[in-house]
Amino acid sequence: MKRRVSAFLVLPLLLLLVFTAANVYAVTEVGTPRRETLIVETQTPTDVPGQFNSYMQGTQMGFGIHQLMSAMMWEMDTVKGEQFGEVAAGFPESNEDFTEHIVRIREGIRWSDGEELNADDVVFTFNMIMDNPGIGASAYYNTVFESVEKVDDYTVRIKTRESFPRLALRFGVTIWGNDLRIVPEHIYSKVDDVTTFKDSNPVVAGPYTVHSYDPLGKWVLYERREDWQYSTVGVVTGKMPQAKYVLFKYVGDDTTRQMAMVNNEVDILCEVTPEMVEVMTAMNPNIACWYKDFPYATSDDPCSKGIAFQMAKEPFDNPDFRWGIALAMNFDEISLNIFDGVGRASALPILTATSAMQELYYIPLLPWLEEFELDLGDGTTFKPFDPDYAYRMAEILRAQGYDVPTEHDELIDMFGIGCWKYAPDVAEKLFIKAGLEKRTDGWYFKGEPFTINMTYLADTEAQAGRGLIAAYDQLVKFGFNCNLASESSATWDSNAATGNFEIAGYWPTGGITRDLYSQISGWDADLIVPLGERGSGQGSRWRNEEATRIIHELAKVSPDSDESYELGMEFMKVAIKDLPFIGFHSGVKFVPTNSTYWTNYPSAENPYNGPWWWWSCFKYITTEITPVQ
Amino acid sequence: MSKGVKQLKFSKYLGLRILTWALTIWIGVTFIFFVPRMFPSDPVENMIGRIQSRSGQMDPVEMEALRKTLRVQFGLEGSLMEQYLSFLKKGLLQFDFGPSLMSFPTPVGDIIKTYLPYTLGLMLVTTVMAWLIGNFIGLQAGFRKHRLSSKILEAVAICIYPVPYFIVALILQIVFAFILNWFPLQSTIVTMGGFGMFIRSLIRASILPAISLLLLGTGWWIISMKSLSGTVAEEDFVLYARYRGLPETRIGRSYVLRNSIITQVTALAMSLGGVFSGSIMTEIIFGYPGVGTLIQKAILQSDYNMILGCITISIVAISTATLIVDLIYPLIDPRIRYS
Repeated sequence: MKRRVSAFLVLPLLLLLVFTAANVYAVTEVGTPRRETLIVETQTPTDVPGQFNSYMQGTQMGFGIHQLMSAMMWEMDTVKGEQFGEVAAGFPESNEDFTEHIVRIREGIRWSDGEELNADDVVFTFNMIMDNPGIGASAYYNTVFESVEKVDDYTVRIKTRESFPRLALRFGVTIWGNDLRIVPEHIYSKVDDVTTFKDSNPVVAGPYTVHSYDPLGKWVLYERREDWQYSTVGVVTGKMPQAKYVLFKYVGDDTTRQMAMVNNEVDILCEVTPEMVEVMTAMNPNIACWYKDFPYATSDDPCSKGIAFQMAKEPFDNPDFRWGIALAMNFDEISLNIFDGVGRASALPILTATSAMQELYYIPLLPWLEEFELDLGDGTTFKPFDPDYAYRMAEILRAQGYDVPTEHDELIDMFGIGCWKYAPDVAEKLFIKAGLEKRTDGWYFKGEPFTINMTYLADTEAQAGRGLIAAYDQLVKFGFNCNLASESSATWDSNAATGNFEIAGYWPTGGITRDLYSQISGWDADLIVPLGERGSGQGSRWRNEEATRIIHELAKVSPDSDESYELGMEFMKVAIKDLPFIGFHSGVKFVPTNSTYWTNYPSAENPYNGPWWWWSCFKYITTEITPVQ
Repeated sequence: MSKGVKQLKFSKYLGLRILTWALTIWIGVTFIFFVPRMFPSDPVENMIGRIQSRSGQMDPVEMEALRKTLRVQFGLEGSLMEQYLSFLKKGLLQFDFGPSLMSFPTPVGDIIKTYLPYTLGLMLVTTVMAWLIGNFIGLQAGFRKHRLSSKILEAVAICIYPVPYFIVALILQIVFAFILNWFPLQSTIVTMGGFGMFIRSLIRASILPAISLLLLGTGWWIISMKSLSGTVAEEDFVLYARYRGLPETRIGRSYVLRNSIITQVTALAMSLGGVFSGSIMTEIIFGYPGVGTLIQKAILQSDYNMILGCITISIVAISTATLIVDLIYPLIDPRIRYS
């Protein structure tokens, strides 16, 4: 009996010991100790394995290349929405008309082979891009730059052909990354053709180098530089990236991603749906998103989602029609249909309500928005802005059992400053003003039955797709005859350029900088080409002379000036009156992390950075993520 | 019939078959050249769309410059007929399909060379194994249909065969990879850590995909062979052999199997020809590298050259397999003559 009892006690202890040992000494599939390896998901396998030259066509920068190795001139503090110098020591010193710029180079950065990074590398990179037509950005660089030359080892003089006030904004990181990445002159100058040089064993200035990679394109293993102190991150922050290895790998379809996360086979996923978050957090308590509990997601992704119009077609070219569409839809229902009410309302066209932009533009615009009126064409007017959305949505969600804050500021941060009202009777008046006719069997335009064709991108971008489907439901409920179709990415991008859509889930939005120029320059009406042709402006083809004038004026002023901000505000008022895009929410991202092996990921409790694993700023996050003891 | 007349008939037959083979390939590849170009999609716009979707808005001047550069680099300048003639000359005759547009400028041939061995390794092994196992069990089930073991095997095959492939694959993945942790959720093949590590990772990565393909593949062969051998077993010559007192094993092997296997050989040849297109479901669910997902990605990204490369190889393989079967048929079935 005693022996049996002992066996019963010993057996579980042995199993526990074996399990603990297995956990401590676990190795990854690529043979590195699990406890020293941070495993990050990439959204797709790379089509060009072993290709780390960012100037070769097709290089998949998001596969850890720009997150861990690239040297940017200016990087982004995603929390403040402000740039800082990475390779550059501060911002450009420009002359009065912004045609000559002095850029100082940060001292102390070394390439991973021990060579110093200095002005020679910066000058060489600019000239390499301009001298090689095979580099995608070459033609553009030649239109912008007259010359880039070395003044001394740590100073570069850049001359532009015309006034160029936005050097750091355009050639530094503002959101995802940037196409200017400084390369080692002592390596690239010896290459015959930089556009076909794969650079499979790269010499880098970032804190990690390539250890090994999968020739089939599913993973790349990076190893921390032994001399990390001399890397860009080491020199800028003085902090060591904690993980010795970072494994970027493609995990698979949604089912496999969930299973891999639950089994602790991956530490960071890119983006999932709220349903997936609920399943994963229920099965593994170490999994969390930006918020530990509801609403889980961060609303600070700079691309708001909503509906875009093809304004080269009737009646979509009519602002009254577009305003009618906005007021025909119940935003509360749309919000609940997309992500169960999660997300910050981002109603204004083009501009995304990230935390920074909400403070900079949305809140200052609130008094104007509350007084803004629409002319309904029958002698009456209507104020379309609804500032009560946050309180109403909080109430709905509380009734569903969610713990939602009550403080005004917290509610505004969570749900935004407001949305467009649901007013189907007003919408009806606006449609009639826009030339539509309501008959007993439905709506007519120019004597013909009126149908709206609505499209969205299949499979990816759940927020945009669900939003468009929710809009379809609302417009059908209102009484419109609508067709709904999903498109593969192959046709989606092509239709965006040629304008082959009526209402679609495109997101011509994005940006988190105070200066709006880069976000709005594509809306310049001078860039519009006829339907069916591919132009360089927005596929929506919004023609507004006032907006175009502001864009042209803005191009000439310093991005840091008050004038830039005032012009941005002026542009927003024009855009709101004309409503070329109806925003639903800012980019809502559910990006889960697993704290089994690593902890201290950026979160709502500790927002030292955004959860943007696929952005180049990830290298600054690696210094903060710490191993679980 | 004299030997000379026989040779003449064979030469005529061979010539006609080779002509049909060449014509089939030409029609197939012509079709596959023009169809993707009719899609309302454009590889240049896809590339620009991808860049925009990850990095936000693009400067209009920059977008126009990039568009022009990409059109030249991707070889999309020139008329459709010029591109077609160039393809016939280079692609069909030299198997040079040009650069992949999604992996530009890596040649399509190099990419296919990387993926094809995995597809062929998995598909050839599982197709042949499924054929052998399925036909063996099917023969038992058809020839000795009153035995309990035959009935059980047949019942198992009938139960498994109709189950959709992805269900079987998902069950295997959930049980053996997610719950038991015996195999990886997604195939990770380590090619850079020495041959031993490569083989270990390859075997580990291939077991679940192989079992899933075997389970369903075998089911079909069991059912078809059971039906064929059951019919043959009722034929007069089998009854005659029994009356002569020949042992059952010999009847099964020399009379039933030889007569039933002919149709199965044809079907095997067709299946082997088809392995070149890979198994897209297996590749997606288990993350197994292969030509199937390569074709899928190429279609989604409008990589015309890659689509042409993969499908041309597949068309040539299937046409050649059919040609070979037609030519060797008289060797395995004495009732058939070249005529």
